[in-house]
Amino acid sequence: MKQKKSNSRFNFEIKLTKIPKSKRSQLKIQEMAFMLLAVVLFFILVGLFIVSVIYSNLYKEANLISESRTLSLVTNLADSPEFSCSTYKSNCVDSDKLISLVGRKTYENFWPFSSLKLVKSTGFDKAEEEMLKCTIANYPNCDIFVVYDREVKNEKAISSFVALCRKELENEYTYDKCEIAKLVAGTEIKEQGER
Amino acid sequence: MKNKKAIEMGFNWLFAIIVGGFILFLAIYASGKFIRTSEKTLYTETAAKLVVLLDPMETGLASGKSSEINFNKETKTFYDCNSLINKPFGRQRISFSEKTFGEKYGEEGEKISIKDRYVFVENLIEGRRLSLFSKPFFMPFKIADLIIISSKDNNYCFYDTPEEIKKDIEDLNLDHIIFPNSTIKCSGTKVCFSKNSKCDIKIIGMCEDSSCENDYDYGYVQKGKEKLYYVNDLIYAAIFSSSEIYECNIKRLMSKLNELGGIYLNKVNIIERKGCYPTLQTKLIIMMNKAKELDSSDDLIFLIEQTKEIDQINEEGKTGCRLY
Repeated sequence: MKQKKSNSRFNFEIKLTKIPKSKRSQLKIQEMAFMLLAVVLFFILVGLFIVSVIYSNLYKEANLISESRTLSLVTNLADSPEFSCSTYKSNCVDSDKLISLVGRKTYENFWPFSSLKLVKSTGFDKAEEEMLKCTIANYPNCDIFVVYDREVKNEKAISSFVALCRKELENEYTYDKCEIAKLVAGTEIKEQGER
Repeated sequence: MKNKKAIEMGFNWLFAIIVGGFILFLAIYASGKFIRTSEKTLYTETAAKLVVLLDPMETGLASGKSSEINFNKETKTFYDCNSLINKPFGRQRISFSEKTFGEKYGEEGEKISIKDRYVFVENLIEGRRLSLFSKPFFMPFKIADLIIISSKDNNYCFYDTPEEIKKDIEDLNLDHIIFPNSTIKCSGTKVCFSKNSKCDIKIIGMCEDSSCENDYDYGYVQKGKEKLYYVNDLIYAAIFSSSEIYECNIKRLMSKLNELGGIYLNKVNIIERKGCYPTLQTKLIIMMNKAKELDSSDDLIFLIEQTKEIDQINEEGKTGCRLY
């Protein structure tokens, strides 16, 4: 064994002696440079990995905040000036005002929802494609008021039940006719990389 | 080389020290940058959560609501307002920072937009406790809720306050608003309801006709050389807000009045089919045009007459046919 060791040492010494002295230190410097480069690249990769994990948490947090905003807004939306009834009832939506809101482009960027709809009781058992959209022409014989819909890719809907009231004339007497309805607000769910 | 007192420092050692030092410097710089970015992220999230806390301030049928926000550290909240962006409603923005090590405040987070709220506040609020209260604004139908924010760490001393306003404030439980007298002392921002006084904020009432509940139904709030005109509950907004944010929000409220006026005019066409014949359309259109042309709060006074007339017509309307 000792002989083998001394033989290998002897071979190594022979190899080293073949390289001129002036080149040996240059070789060592190069080795050091490559090693340092590898270490730096390694740390950059680790950093990128950490940043991508944190970034995905940021998207999650932003979506959570967006959803909680939609939830707190939709429960109070019926009491806002655009929807509230004239008869001082809480959680009541005036459908005579709502039909004017439908298709009003100015309100598309007012609320933070990606879509805002109100489904009448006649539309509860229907899929959205089967529901008749409300317009001035067919009001009040329709199923759904689409205030606006930004048609985003991913959306989560949050709904709240409200009383939907309108003026009705019967036997020369005008009164408030009310029914149950569902206010549906959408929140856009943004995925990583989306702006 | 044979001198054993000397330290041999080959070129490879020097190279390793220089490059190692450079890598260390980069690592420290990157950590510092990472900490600053995390701080900014946290402050931006906090500002977004503050905006969510404004949502329950919707008054609905109530005459007012109040609330409080407490922080663990000294904080700074920054506000701005722009009536020209996001027409016709304009927008406000809020950002946040808090005290970090060494009594210094961290770098302000990103600004979060508020488009559907009307927040009256100073441009910068510093402190651990924020007081929020909201009052509905009618002209003559409800336009929006006025959300007023102030720091609870600063007291407001109200002198010669009319009974209606004093009762309003007491009902809201705002304990940083004090009504000093011979037994109760107060130190803080002085607010006086008279012209002849040395106060930080003076409120001058201009309502003198018989329909007024008191002189202060409308008038102006004087802060130094600036005059902020108000109508009804805008008095609170004018007291607690900076003039820049107040004037901007007045323009935003008038744009909202214009939009809501359009909705009510369409409602008139709908309810006419149901035996209702409101007669306030002309006056409503005149008021909407005046609101559209409003340049500053000075012009608010010119809307008062129209407001009262429309209200009277609506009140006198057929039973079941009131527009609002």
